[in-house]
Amino acid sequence: MRPVAIVGVGQTLYCRSHADKSSRELIWSAAKEALDDAGMSMNDIDVVVAGVAPDALAGEASVERSGMMGRGLPFMRVNTGGVTGSSTVFAGASYIRARRAKAVLVFALERMGQATTSQQVFNTIFDPIYEKDFPLTTITMAALRASMLMRLYGYTHRHWAEIAARNYRHAARNPLAHIRRVVTPEEVLQSPLLAWPIHRMEACPMSEGACAMVLVDAEHAAGRRPVWIQGYASTSDSYAMGDRIHRPEATLVDLLSLRLSAQKAYKEAGVTDPRRQIRVVELYSAFSSAEAMAYPALGFCTSPEGPAFVEQQLVDPTLPVFNPSGGPQGANPVGATAMVRIAECALQVRGTAGDRQVDGVERAVATGQGGATQFSTVCVLGRHPTS
Amino acid sequence: MADTRPQVFIESAALDIGWRDETRNLSELIFRTVRRALDGSREGLHGIESVVLAAHDLVDGRSLSSMVTAPAAGAYLRDEIRYGDDGAAALVAAVVRIEAGEASRSIVAAWGRASEHDVDTLSKALFDPFVQGPLGLDELQVSALRAQSWVQSGGRRADHALAVARRRAAAAVNARAARGTTRTSVPSYPLTCDDLPVWADVVAAVVLSSKGGPVRVRGLGQASEPYAVGDRKLLAMPSARRACDLALAEAGMALTDLDLFELDGLTLLDEAILLEAIGLAAPGEGLSVLARDARVNASGGGAAGYCAPAMGLARIVEASLQIQGRAGAVQRPGVRRALAMGSSVVAAQTHTAVVLESA
Repeated sequence: MRPVAIVGVGQTLYCRSHADKSSRELIWSAAKEALDDAGMSMNDIDVVVAGVAPDALAGEASVERSGMMGRGLPFMRVNTGGVTGSSTVFAGASYIRARRAKAVLVFALERMGQATTSQQVFNTIFDPIYEKDFPLTTITMAALRASMLMRLYGYTHRHWAEIAARNYRHAARNPLAHIRRVVTPEEVLQSPLLAWPIHRMEACPMSEGACAMVLVDAEHAAGRRPVWIQGYASTSDSYAMGDRIHRPEATLVDLLSLRLSAQKAYKEAGVTDPRRQIRVVELYSAFSSAEAMAYPALGFCTSPEGPAFVEQQLVDPTLPVFNPSGGPQGANPVGATAMVRIAECALQVRGTAGDRQVDGVERAVATGQGGATQFSTVCVLGRHPTS
Repeated sequence: MADTRPQVFIESAALDIGWRDETRNLSELIFRTVRRALDGSREGLHGIESVVLAAHDLVDGRSLSSMVTAPAAGAYLRDEIRYGDDGAAALVAAVVRIEAGEASRSIVAAWGRASEHDVDTLSKALFDPFVQGPLGLDELQVSALRAQSWVQSGGRRADHALAVARRRAAAAVNARAARGTTRTSVPSYPLTCDDLPVWADVVAAVVLSSKGGPVRVRGLGQASEPYAVGDRKLLAMPSARRACDLALAEAGMALTDLDLFELDGLTLLDEAILLEAIGLAAPGEGLSVLARDARVNASGGGAAGYCAPAMGLARIVEASLQIQGRAGAVQRPGVRRALAMGSSVVAAQTHTAVVLESA
């Protein structure tokens, strides 16, 4: 397929609420930074793809329209929930692969700080007839998975706390992160229970912010600092979580949609041994326990090996580095988070991630996860285009 | 850019327009139409690699509505993306994916159910809450502003009654059109009740393929307007013109080469002004062309049933059926080439044009 490169990255600060900025200002702030980073202007852009998740979170309908740059360009809005950010990148990349654009601006925006009851907004994603009786929320949904992982594979509270502490440790080095303080596993375990077994400090914050990137073809990558999108894929699963528990292909915690996406993206990127070939992984795991579902799906270990894999990460520097940005526990601007994962991987591969830079990153993987783990995306980035 | 892209074809298309079907929920409505499109395609669900949707949470009445609707559109364990945009834009995105080599067969589906939401309240909510919202604007009022501008610039209304009668007559015999009384809105001057869309529940579905089909996608065009209504040229509709010109240029055709035009306008006057914007009618003559030119919106246009964001894809389905000679009572003779256009929120802020040809 035709190579696509990321040549510009822009991000706002992520925080609980950008009360002093309009949506348009946030979008343009990230977009301008991405364009400047690429050494380009809007005159160079052929297509704009916007990513905004549920409108209700912003308290404003079609808020992405405020990001229209007034240049008459093709402009589309993607809304795939938690994977909105990555879907938006893929939608933009398709235009370049199809030779319909040489340069595409993609941006994703989250304004959930404007919703007074974001959890209630999220609760409307569940079925009002069957699932509401549980009562099911995004937190209890994650708790059900965490308890299943503990029962099936032997994960403990300590594993969830260690993962969370590592993410906070990394986020403390990320100047854009919403939560920037080192937290010990003990502090995580002492934080209040949200829904057993999940403690509050194992959960992501509610963040606002915008992320933007400039995607170009090989011709326009020349003379710039390109990071190549080596492969990407997305997969959609069943709506009802109950349908994903007992099917023969995979259980609810096996994340079949992520596994299928990884297989496809790896094949495109030429990844055959992810543990050896991937240096950095940016996961969209809104809860620390959710990371455990991604490890086997991405091919880093088998499901039963998961608890040991978490322990090995603490002592084995040859293993991939997970969430050097802090991941969603450092900041979770939902509609933008999956794009942030790709942007952070791009910075890592390019070697411009600042204090959070990992040494020797040739290849990185970003995931997206949305809709009660119904939607999964995988994006492989590297220093070189795939042949 | 060298045109080395694979050709993309419409294998089949389906459209269902109704009102408050109390025997089916939204997922069942979507499933029914997508299933009909698949049943009419070459290989059914086999080989479908991508599902591209156009739907709005605010229309569907729940957050991240594609969670419950995507499986009904065939997305289970497939690549799926949902655009919060018009159905014609989703079709373009699906074509682009095939051209990119990411899929060889795709389902495109779009829907809107006007019976389940207050279209006027939702329309008001689309405008920013600080500057434009307090004016009380909704999309019909922007259409009214556009129509006022048209009247003031000399738009000819003599054929208004004839244009109304023609599109009603077309909708009356179109088997896919809405029937009976639906929701009504209140028009603002100079619009009348006769100009308003017939609100309806609409589901449209298309199966695309790189392997062949009866209709070939020959040209695509997309363009957008500025964000603020005050910054736009409501009458000239430059993004509609640009989208149309791009699609025609890609197809290597002119308007005179086309046999049919399925155009999306919220009101009758929007349809007329769009005709002028793309050059199919002289300035001020849009209504007269609508009244007399049977090639334009042979389906009945907005009188056959209307609900965003399905209308662009609905127009494409109607054009596709005409090219295949399967449009039923509204079939035009000898249709080989057609232009279909869609527009999206807010008040036709983006436009998509698609040129189709018999394969």
